[in-house]
Amino acid sequence: MAPRRSHAEPVPTATSGGATRAWRAAWRREPGRAAWTAIAIGSLCVMLGAWAWATRPGGAIPALFLPPPGDVAASFVRLVSRPYLGSTFGAHVLSSLDVVIGGWLLAGAVGLPLGIAMGWWRRARWIAFPLFQVLRPIPPLAWIPLAIVWLGIGEPARIFVVFVAALVPWVMNSMQAVHSIDGLLVRAARTLGASDRQILTRVVCRTALPTLVAGARIALGNAWTTLIAAELLAATSGLGYIALNASRTLEMGILLVSMLVIGVLGAAFSFGMQALARVFAPWSRGART
Amino acid sequence: MARVRREARIVTRDAAPTPHIAHSAAVGAVSPRDASPAPVPKLELRGIAKTFRTDHGDVEALAPCDLAVREGELVMVVGPSGCGKSTLMSIAAGLEAPTSGEVRVDGRPAGPAGPQRTVVFQRFALFPSETVEGNIAFGLTVAGVARAEREARVAEQLELMGLARFRRAWPHELSGGMQQRVAIARALAVRPEILLMDEPFGALDAQTRTVLQGEISRLRRVMNYTVLFITHSVEEAVYLGDRVVVMSSRPGRIRRDIAIPHDEPWRGLEIEDASMREEFIRYKREIWELIRTEIVRE
Amino acid sequence: MSASPPLAPPSARPRAAVPAALIVGAASIATLVVAWQVVAMAGIVPARVLPTPLDVALRFATLAVETFSGSTLEGHALASLTRWVIGAACAIALGIPLGVALAWLPPLRPVIAPAFELLRFIPPFAWVPIAVLWFGASTTTQALIVFIAAFPACVINAHLGVSLVDPILPRAAAMLGAGGVATLRRVVLPVAAPSIFTGVRIAFSNGWMALVGAELVVGKQGLGFLISQGQINDSVTTIMVGMIAIGALGALIDFGFQRVERAWLPWLAFGAKRAS
Repeated sequence: MAPRRSHAEPVPTATSGGATRAWRAAWRREPGRAAWTAIAIGSLCVMLGAWAWATRPGGAIPALFLPPPGDVAASFVRLVSRPYLGSTFGAHVLSSLDVVIGGWLLAGAVGLPLGIAMGWWRRARWIAFPLFQVLRPIPPLAWIPLAIVWLGIGEPARIFVVFVAALVPWVMNSMQAVHSIDGLLVRAARTLGASDRQILTRVVCRTALPTLVAGARIALGNAWTTLIAAELLAATSGLGYIALNASRTLEMGILLVSMLVIGVLGAAFSFGMQALARVFAPWSRGART
Repeated sequence: MARVRREARIVTRDAAPTPHIAHSAAVGAVSPRDASPAPVPKLELRGIAKTFRTDHGDVEALAPCDLAVREGELVMVVGPSGCGKSTLMSIAAGLEAPTSGEVRVDGRPAGPAGPQRTVVFQRFALFPSETVEGNIAFGLTVAGVARAEREARVAEQLELMGLARFRRAWPHELSGGMQQRVAIARALAVRPEILLMDEPFGALDAQTRTVLQGEISRLRRVMNYTVLFITHSVEEAVYLGDRVVVMSSRPGRIRRDIAIPHDEPWRGLEIEDASMREEFIRYKREIWELIRTEIVRE
Repeated sequence: MSASPPLAPPSARPRAAVPAALIVGAASIATLVVAWQVVAMAGIVPARVLPTPLDVALRFATLAVETFSGSTLEGHALASLTRWVIGAACAIALGIPLGVALAWLPPLRPVIAPAFELLRFIPPFAWVPIAVLWFGASTTTQALIVFIAAFPACVINAHLGVSLVDPILPRAAAMLGAGGVATLRRVVLPVAAPSIFTGVRIAFSNGWMALVGAELVVGKQGLGFLISQGQINDSVTTIMVGMIAIGALGALIDFGFQRVERAWLPWLAFGAKRAS
């Protein structure tokens, strides 16, 4: 540790003390854009290199534990060029997307109006909120066995589970968004002669829009996460299904590719929804979830 | 005689004399009447300048500034908003590095921030997770002061600032005025050599401010701290200061340095009474005129 | 002096709203349960698909004392809790220091951020197949899934909490003579603590949910395993008992944690926060 202040001590000489201070200050400053990019790329390269080195033939990690990066790339090519488990890779992805979007929209169709109603009329909140409080702690995944018993191993069961996963964020965020609107805005609209319906559509829903979109984004994230789990248990197609099969047949490359694609699509949903928020509610750049 | 000598050392950058205010030549200059060698100033800013780098190019916040504060002196810095007063303060405290120039304490380079120069911030900056006591004791704790000594000094400050009832309160439970009292107590508890006050009453309501101004004036009579005090209130500057330094804006520079003698007839009065005295108003008008030309100039 | 007539507290009217909300809420839950009982008894849907609430309650009592799929309900719950504690504890022990370091030492950000962001979007359950290959159907596998689910919340919230600390507070600490470590320990971490606690709370809940998913796929014990066995045995009552146990334990963990948070962070105006 460099000596700290105190007037009683001799002041450190300009060279040594100055260098220490500059070094410390550098650790407390955000690197510039160029440096940031360079370090980021360097860090990725080092990690990729370490992976390749550790998994090289005769390396520390056997390919059955973690395949080398080359194998993963080859598996990706294999997956997109030839059908796997009865359908093309594209068909598997579409099957997953189909269920996730379907269940998410269905949940929105129910949850959005319900949440807005719960935020706007306190009687609706009194009736419905406790039900959600009771159901909320049950993880969506825990519904999967019930869905299988009720609906069998098929698309309806998966849509049901995705619906359950997406419903809670849709409802809770819409309710929160409407409920937390500044009462002054509503009063201002009323003094300007707006009717109740106009206040709800023009003032409340518009002001609440950023939070509503944030709720939609969380709902989509939950839906995607849950779908993957559902596909591990009850599916004959989809990315989760590929992952489980690859694990059973010890095709490590394919397993990693499916995980990566799942991650990339999840990221795409998240960023896509954020972009959507900027389009629909450009005034709320700083809005948090 | 002593009075005259003090005034004679006053720093002025603007040559134009004003009828009733004394001026002198340069920084640290010894008056010809002063036979003894010039005492080293307690706090000295030598050619302090600060330039900020922004996306739109460099912005000069402070042009080279010279300012000396003698032991036991209270110097007020006033200026229009955006004149770099707060930057000057951060540099004086060692919280920011100047682009050029040097801060000296007792004639030696001051080094980074530390309890030798403590700061009272406009936004209080109390540690929310420490009680009133914990806040006041903070500087002593990190310095490793023994428990008995620490408790004695905290008790002394609680007494001095009238905070004894609130010793176990959390900062968020206190009013703004009380929070600022804690901040002042915290800054004094480490027995700093220099107290830096950065618009300490700027965030308070008018009544609380008046009370605290009275407190500072009273504190000054009890203990003779060396104080550099930033404010935007001309009245506060005249009321509390031994000297008032007027800054100009963009880039900030020291425009005038005005001494306010101790024997002014309104000294010792409360601010609302003092501010009605003719002499007080004359100072106030003088300073306000300088600031106004600065604002109009922009 | 005898008692003076009590003054009506100014908050009397808004306070009256709370019991009303409670009554309506309780009534609505009660109505749902009764409706469920009636529908199930009416025989519209076979009892195999929809048992009555009473059946579920009975099954709960049975499972609590009888062994099913290897152990009693308590045994399964204990197995789940053990894995959850191991995984969550590792996530907290590694995630919070990493988040704090990322916020306090900005040059670390570009080193960590790319890999972190790449991996963050892979759902925890997607790791189940590979975790099984790595560690088999063991406690390690389950704890790893809990860890993966809980880790990002710890990192992100610790990072957020520390970066949002008002920069004037470290300055105030510096001018009072505190060094980097003292500032971090005595000023920055306490101020960031609410956000860090929020992260831990999210991490606990994410970890618990992910564990259920992992137990559905692999393992021979645990509440997730219990409901998957219920599915195989076509016993909807068992599934429902498992779901209720999972939900109740999750809620209990969350509730307990909120208590701990209040006790540990006494300087936060919890009362004021709730009131607004």
